[in-house]
Amino acid sequence: MDDAIEVEALVKHFGSVEALKGASFSVKDREIFGLIGPNGAGKTTALRILSTLISPTAGYAKVFGLDVVKEPVKIREMISYLPEEAGAYQNLSGHEYLEFMAEFYDNGDRSAVDMLEEGKYISGLEERLNDRVKGYSKGMKRRLLLARALMMKPRLAILDEPTSGLDVLHAVHVRQTIRDYVDKQGVTTLISSHNMLEVEYLCHRVALIDEGVIIAVGTPSELMDKFSAENLEEAFMEATKLG
Amino acid sequence: MGNLRSLVVKEIKELIRDPKILLGVVLMPLIMYPIMGSAMNISQQSMMRAMASASFAIYNEDEGAVVDSFLEYIYTDNTVHTIEAGSLEDAIVAFQDTNASTLLYIREGYSDNVTQGVKANLKLYANLKSLTIVETESPNAVSGLINIYSYYLSISKIEGYIAESGGVAEPDSIRSPIRTTSASIIKGNVLEVAPSAIFSLVMNQSITLPMMTMLTLVFAIQMAATSIALEKEEKTLETLMTLPVGRMTILSGKLAGSIVVSIFGAIASMAGFGYYMNSAFAFAPEMTSMTTEGFSLGLKPFGVALVGLNIFITLISALALAICLSVFSDSVRGAQSLTGILFIPIFIPALILMFSDITMLPPTMQWILLAIPYTHSILASKAAFLGNYSAAIGNIAYITVFTVVVLYIAARIFSTERILTSRFTLDGIRNLLRRR
Repeated sequence: MDDAIEVEALVKHFGSVEALKGASFSVKDREIFGLIGPNGAGKTTALRILSTLISPTAGYAKVFGLDVVKEPVKIREMISYLPEEAGAYQNLSGHEYLEFMAEFYDNGDRSAVDMLEEGKYISGLEERLNDRVKGYSKGMKRRLLLARALMMKPRLAILDEPTSGLDVLHAVHVRQTIRDYVDKQGVTTLISSHNMLEVEYLCHRVALIDEGVIIAVGTPSELMDKFSAENLEEAFMEATKLG
Repeated sequence: MGNLRSLVVKEIKELIRDPKILLGVVLMPLIMYPIMGSAMNISQQSMMRAMASASFAIYNEDEGAVVDSFLEYIYTDNTVHTIEAGSLEDAIVAFQDTNASTLLYIREGYSDNVTQGVKANLKLYANLKSLTIVETESPNAVSGLINIYSYYLSISKIEGYIAESGGVAEPDSIRSPIRTTSASIIKGNVLEVAPSAIFSLVMNQSITLPMMTMLTLVFAIQMAATSIALEKEEKTLETLMTLPVGRMTILSGKLAGSIVVSIFGAIASMAGFGYYMNSAFAFAPEMTSMTTEGFSLGLKPFGVALVGLNIFITLISALALAICLSVFSDSVRGAQSLTGILFIPIFIPALILMFSDITMLPPTMQWILLAIPYTHSILASKAAFLGNYSAAIGNIAYITVFTVVVLYIAARIFSTERILTSRFTLDGIRNLLRRR
């Protein structure tokens, strides 16, 4: 089976800053893949390239065989992207927000109404969906945004730091939702995080990224074995030391 | 079309539900202009009442017989304080203790001069306590009274001379042997109306048109800047850019949403401004009841269509320009400051063309103004108003070309990552230029 994501020698410059310095990795279909590394390692840049928001300076990235530079519109039809600091329209209600987003994915296979129902279920916000987003807590907003990202059953979900800044209750809800939903629907998922425990819990395979370069790829247990570590955090520390 | 409709509806909801926009763009004009109009009306009416009831003082040094008829005339239907004093200096001191604004000083010898056919001199002193219009205009009211008296006095004297000489003539024709009347020629038609009367009316229109254009553009720019900056500030832009919808549709949605809301703003302003004109000039009905139809001026259906087209294209260009600029800011406040630059090329031509015709300006100034696209928006409306349709079409063509260029730049920005990565820094501008 073809890889869902294929990234080869990816380089991205922002002026004089080199955010990616030749990163390469691949993600299999229906796999939950984690990209872990410290702040500024290049995780978000890689995700934004795969989401067709920005173009690579060199190298290439493909999503289900399509080049992100040559066929961004086709790729956008298959993916949903949840940015780390994403927000929702403050003056719309949660219900209106999901409805607005669902309309873009309405096609012969699934109607916007079906997607909206799915989104309402995933968010778990119930009656609060009738309130304007400006009154939501950070956790509620994140649940709404995750529901938006998953309700249209994308072939690839790209989730950047999905639980960043959330309290324990909301973080657990978000992780549980990702795991249950992705398993049930078979959605390929690329998650970036600097929370190693989260990645260990959610991901089938993981890539360690540091200073714009992938330094190791494998399942959590493979990486822990490789670096004789008890958890991914230790494995990452060892890997960066070796690198 | 479905996606565009969703985007436009979302834009309108977001903008209209934002209290800052609703209050600033729609409600403020509806409240502010009527309040301004009422305030102006109240102040004008109080001024007119004050002028009508203005009293004045008289200090008379003449004891001749002729002055009595003049005093009788002055005292009739007027509130006059008679100052009793030993000298002019004392009279001036006493005058300042009264509530009169003007002192009429009749010198000794007035009667003798009038009788002997020598000019009789009167002097007016205005007491400017608070430098109000009433105070400065008060001597004019007294002068008016004196001029009327002077006219009839001269007519009476001329009648006496005619009778003495046994001749036949009209006293008024001897006093003013030449009479001038004015007519105006507009588009080949001779109208028995003084040009000053037409000027007042056209002036009213020439202020209103640039002002309306200016206000509409200001609202539109604020809308568009807010629309893009809100997406950045609320971190919704990235999500929007990954939706399966063309970037041009997103841009069109933003433009259309902003146009709809700014049209609401313009309608609110026009309603408010109309109320302002009616209430502010209610004391002078001729200002509001005069029409342009009798002068072959005003907008015919084709002219209305041209003005509509002109405003629409101008709006699009202002919106696209505001979008291009607001991309360089991360916050609503930053975007509004950046787009504030655009007010300069809008305000300058509007203010200049409110009070002068472009052909009256020095050639260099004309070229500078003509290079500014928004000058053509105002010129097009004026030309359509005057029925010069070919000139209006020329102006609209200029603004259209400019709009196409701005739209192209906006489309380029939207279709690349610049919309996410551009920031207003010198390095950023240098990089942007280098990449282009």
